[in-house]
Amino acid sequence: MPLIKSQTAEPVTEEARKSARDCAGLVAQLADANPTARRWAARDLADCPNAAAVLLDHLKREPEVSVREVILTTLTALGDETAVAGLVDCLRSEDAALRNEAIEAMRQLPDAMAPIMRGLLADQDPDVRIFAVNILESLCHPDVETWLIEVIDCDPHVNVCGTAVDLLGEVGSMQARESLLRLKARFANEPYIRFAADLALERLRDA
Amino acid sequence: MKRILIVDDAATVRLYHREILETANYAVEEAMNGIEALEKALQSPFDLYLVDINMPKLDGYGFLRELRGQDLPQAPAIMISTEAQANDEQRAYIAGANIYLIKPVKPDRLLTQVRLLLGDVYR
Repeated sequence: MPLIKSQTAEPVTEEARKSARDCAGLVAQLADANPTARRWAARDLADCPNAAAVLLDHLKREPEVSVREVILTTLTALGDETAVAGLVDCLRSEDAALRNEAIEAMRQLPDAMAPIMRGLLADQDPDVRIFAVNILESLCHPDVETWLIEVIDCDPHVNVCGTAVDLLGEVGSMQARESLLRLKARFANEPYIRFAADLALERLRDA
Repeated sequence: MKRILIVDDAATVRLYHREILETANYAVEEAMNGIEALEKALQSPFDLYLVDINMPKLDGYGFLRELRGQDLPQAPAIMISTEAQANDEQRAYIAGANIYLIKPVKPDRLLTQVRLLLGDVYR
């Protein structure tokens, strides 16, 4: 019996396109009953105008994991303003799998994410700010530590700071030391923050 | 010694909960996501599950739904999340959680809930 019934993926090897690559046809194929046809459409749409908007529109209602993966790969390759804005919008979804997939896609886009990162880290919704910190986890960008320090210095929400501290312990340097000490003082009544900050300080000392 | 599985993708959170639970003489194991947790539970069921909601690969809701669908002794589960919207709590109970807590959980609060669920109030 399969353990994970809802996440079984269609095999993606040895596929053949069902029809030619005209943009209107590809958009129509995104609604095809066959996941193979939808995967091809999601791949080939990359060359079409307005591809990001079409793919984002479809992403939220696509049930097949393997098709969603191709859509996200194409969106990542596009990496344009529409694609990034749509991925950011996925962070507000109630679908945890979609959120995680969007986070993973945005981690591949350091140059596109960098200009909007501070805005995302200052979002009104603390959950979105936590997901923004999650993006930083493997975003290859020289400002990651600076952004994390700004979060623990300024963010009022304990869980946003907790998530940032966890990551600072892994990617930070002794440059974060004073901010970690200030954070402990700011959340003196939160045992988790004290624990996480002490752990991060210990890791930074040992690094 | 009763066994508890901590399921969370954040290493610091796992370590924090482990220290609290081990101090109270529970045997603790860890999993980083729902798939790893399900594999461990199928190998050797636990007495209690402490489960985060947001995790890669298989989230907390998915893990509990799968766990509750297995032919296993149905141990209690505490779902822990950073999210505080009402529908998250409702979804947690529908998925099979017994208790829903918001992070960060203070040590006394966690131990009280664990002991209640395990019938260890006077330990």
